[in-house]
Amino acid sequence: MRNLTLAAFAALSLITLGCERKTPAVDPKPPEAKPVDAGVAAAPKQDDVILLGEVGSLTGPEAAFGISTKQGIELALAEANAAGGVKGKKLEVRVYDDQSKPEEAASAAARLITQDHIALLLGEVASSNSLAMAPKAQEAKVPMISPSSTNPAVTEVGDYIFRVCFIDPFQGYVMAKYARQDLKMSKAAILKDVKSAYSMGLADVFEKKFSELGGKVAGIESYSKGETDFRAQLTALKKLKVEGLYVPGYYNDVGLVARQAKELGLKVTMMGGDGWDSEKLFELGGAALDGSVVSNHYSAEDPSPQVQNFITKYKEKYGAVPDSLAALGYDAAMVGIEAMKRSTDLTGPSIRDALAQIRDFPGVAGTISINEKRDAVKPAVVLQIKNNKFNYVATVKP
Amino acid sequence: MAGLLQHLINGLAEGTIYALVALGYTMVYGVLKLINFAHGDVMMVGAYVGYAAAFVLGDGALGSLWGAVLVFLVSILFCGLLGWLVERFAYRPLREKPRLTALITAIGISFTLSYGFQLKVQPEIAGKKVTLLPGADPRTFPEIITPAEWVTLHVPAPAPAPDEVDPAAPHDAADDFVEIIIWNWQVISFVIALALMGGLQVLVFRTKFGRAMRAVSHDHRVAALLGIPVDRVIALTFMLGSALAACAGILYAIKDTLIQPMLGVQLGLKAFVAAVIGGIGNVQGAVLGAVALALCEELVVGYASSSWRDAVAFGFLIVVLLLRPQGLLGRVQAEKV
Amino acid sequence: MPETLGTREVKPPLLGVSGVEVRYGAIQALRGVSLSVGQGDVVALIGANGAGKTSTLRAVSGMLKPTAGTVQLAGQDITGQPAHTLVGKGMAHAPEGRGIFPNLTVLENLELGAYLRSDKAGIAQDLERMYGFFPVLRERQAQLAGTLSGGEQQMLAISRALMSRPKLLLLDEPSLGLAPQVTQTIFRILREVNAQGVSILLVEQNAHLALGLAHWAYVLETGAIVMEGTGQALLASDDVRKAYLGE
Repeated sequence: MRNLTLAAFAALSLITLGCERKTPAVDPKPPEAKPVDAGVAAAPKQDDVILLGEVGSLTGPEAAFGISTKQGIELALAEANAAGGVKGKKLEVRVYDDQSKPEEAASAAARLITQDHIALLLGEVASSNSLAMAPKAQEAKVPMISPSSTNPAVTEVGDYIFRVCFIDPFQGYVMAKYARQDLKMSKAAILKDVKSAYSMGLADVFEKKFSELGGKVAGIESYSKGETDFRAQLTALKKLKVEGLYVPGYYNDVGLVARQAKELGLKVTMMGGDGWDSEKLFELGGAALDGSVVSNHYSAEDPSPQVQNFITKYKEKYGAVPDSLAALGYDAAMVGIEAMKRSTDLTGPSIRDALAQIRDFPGVAGTISINEKRDAVKPAVVLQIKNNKFNYVATVKP
Repeated sequence: MAGLLQHLINGLAEGTIYALVALGYTMVYGVLKLINFAHGDVMMVGAYVGYAAAFVLGDGALGSLWGAVLVFLVSILFCGLLGWLVERFAYRPLREKPRLTALITAIGISFTLSYGFQLKVQPEIAGKKVTLLPGADPRTFPEIITPAEWVTLHVPAPAPAPDEVDPAAPHDAADDFVEIIIWNWQVISFVIALALMGGLQVLVFRTKFGRAMRAVSHDHRVAALLGIPVDRVIALTFMLGSALAACAGILYAIKDTLIQPMLGVQLGLKAFVAAVIGGIGNVQGAVLGAVALALCEELVVGYASSSWRDAVAFGFLIVVLLLRPQGLLGRVQAEKV
Repeated sequence: MPETLGTREVKPPLLGVSGVEVRYGAIQALRGVSLSVGQGDVVALIGANGAGKTSTLRAVSGMLKPTAGTVQLAGQDITGQPAHTLVGKGMAHAPEGRGIFPNLTVLENLELGAYLRSDKAGIAQDLERMYGFFPVLRERQAQLAGTLSGGEQQMLAISRALMSRPKLLLLDEPSLGLAPQVTQTIFRILREVNAQGVSILLVEQNAHLALGLAHWAYVLETGAIVMEGTGQALLASDDVRKAYLGE
């Protein structure tokens, strides 16, 4: 009997040791997934309220994304409610934190759909998280709008999945074109995150487009999200004598990459995508980022009155200038609200149909037209970093 | 050539951090025959305590010698205490029980620390917000050493491939050399790590207490017969290992800047592997194993691919255990029946 | 009551063991053992394998806690006190299997014997004394103790125990696995050590040697003393000869 107990303990230890501990066991009822914005305590579906659901990375490495998006959505809902709501009903949103983890995003989405009975799902930012959530929404026929996931695969999950941002094939092209034509680069290298669908997708597009445009991608190195030491990869890249380094990753990793590149004396122009968009980037990278360029969805320097209006209201409410994530969160919510207004009866299928018809919607991050693939066709902006600020450089139309 | 030199520098920097953690694993295994799986997480706690100390000292202390020293000291004291507490209340009661029991407890403590630190507990105490537990969001470690370039080596660059040379372009003398920059904090970290390891070496091999540690590690019952206070020796060993882990945590934070609650798990595992490769229980072996492992990882990532890093690290372990199960410097220990 | 052969010389008591019982789980190893060691005595404890000789020493030195009975050292009750506190009270135990630390040098082993002492001069003096007893230890002082032969390790174990200047030395099976020549040497030194004032409680399977050295001896059988007497008397006893001396 004692031997059996020992054997059981041994097996348990081996299993525990063998588990990759970065991701805890998937708990069907994640203890963290408490409603963050329970404006109505324990609300069963009420007839004068439309409940939206939001899944966001409020904690973890991508917390900056989640918090910005949430604030943008909240601002949109507050405005819409002040203007009378939708079909005479008030709008509310229930928000769950996915801790920057795809499996948590999936369970949060499932919970919103099956337990909270939301009418519309908003989220996520990281493409890996959206890809995890989308099948749940599609299966339940609940329309889902991703504010900022740029990997093409997200909307390919099904006809209930939409996005209000451009997709990576376009974003990668924007930077490749800018690097070749404006920065006149002939040799570049890529440092990509193998754990992120977003990063891998963008890297592939950049590589293809840069070569098509006559440039040479002299080397490709990789890392895993969460690694903090990139010196080995950067040392390998240093030998290649390239002019530019494309780092299509998220702000925490990119900040460290920039810092360590400077430490190693690597003299290149760094380039990236919308994953860089966060103040935390500057906290980590500081002066090492000066001169870098990124493709993004919007610039706070856009003089249009609509954008400036939005920035003023956001600053009033949250005390900070909105970043792309906040702008896209706002747009996603606004597009969703518009679709609900146009829908015949606020059921899933009718909202979905209305979404598919959105054309020339004036968003703060650009004019939104949903195409047949349920992606938004929109221009991108190129921003340059100087003194811990993103400065507007150019707009690239699709 | 320049690339290889830079890789060696990188690998050595990482290796010394592994070494400081591996020493704790090996010493505790030596005296208790226990693999303290929670040890890597003590390093994580050390990094966070250092962060908190730097925060409390304020921006004025950043870059000053006394500020840096204080940060280290506070972290060492806190982690030493943590080590004592863990040994006294989690492991000592299990001393006579089967070893598997203590092992599982160690795993439990590791989970408690790494997941506990992912909770955000920030109560208001006396009108100020006090952070007791930091939460899962990564934090930027403040620059307690203001970075400055100390030495710039000029290493001759390899001749460029013929298709890369533009015959029309003027020869730029700068292209003949590759710059390898050595930073002040790299040198300081290295010196600190060396001093700690050297100090430990002296302690273990040239002092009465070190003799007592080695005696307890071989047979604690006989050691007691000589009057050696075995419980005290074990407790002090734990505190020593934890102090080293605290230093490792801060050196890591200086080097890689970003700290998050799970950092001890992966790094602790690597350090444990290093200790085993060097011969678990052997102090010099821990350092050798750590440096060997770090260099191996660095070269694999630099010359092959980052995805191979862990596979090669653990593969290295398997090869060593197959060919020399006692580890590189370990002695074959006859089991007393 | 154990059978007594011969009369015991009365000496001031150093060690008094009274009615000690020891259990290992469900097994009763000692069933009420009583013995005494007087100052300046060599007392031998003989018996077959498994009789409980080692358990007796362990109960005295604090390695085991008795479930009943008392142990007194120089008038003080030390029953059940942990081993590391007893060295300070003048007792040293060279355990079964010698217990030297193979990963330390000969010198380091000896230095550990003096762990509780701080008088550097006295320690150096005693070191010389040990080297005088066993010159081979001086030769090998920088060598790892694990490389020594069995006999040399036994010499080291005894010397190490003596380094604490004990009043009472507990010795467990010093002759085990050793060649007769070496054993002779060791027992000769033990006689000398005793002559210098150290009392010895000796557990031995080699009854001949033990009884030859001892002032008084006890015969232990399945956890209880069955016979006691002077060394000479027991050597002469028919029962003892048949059971333990192979005759």
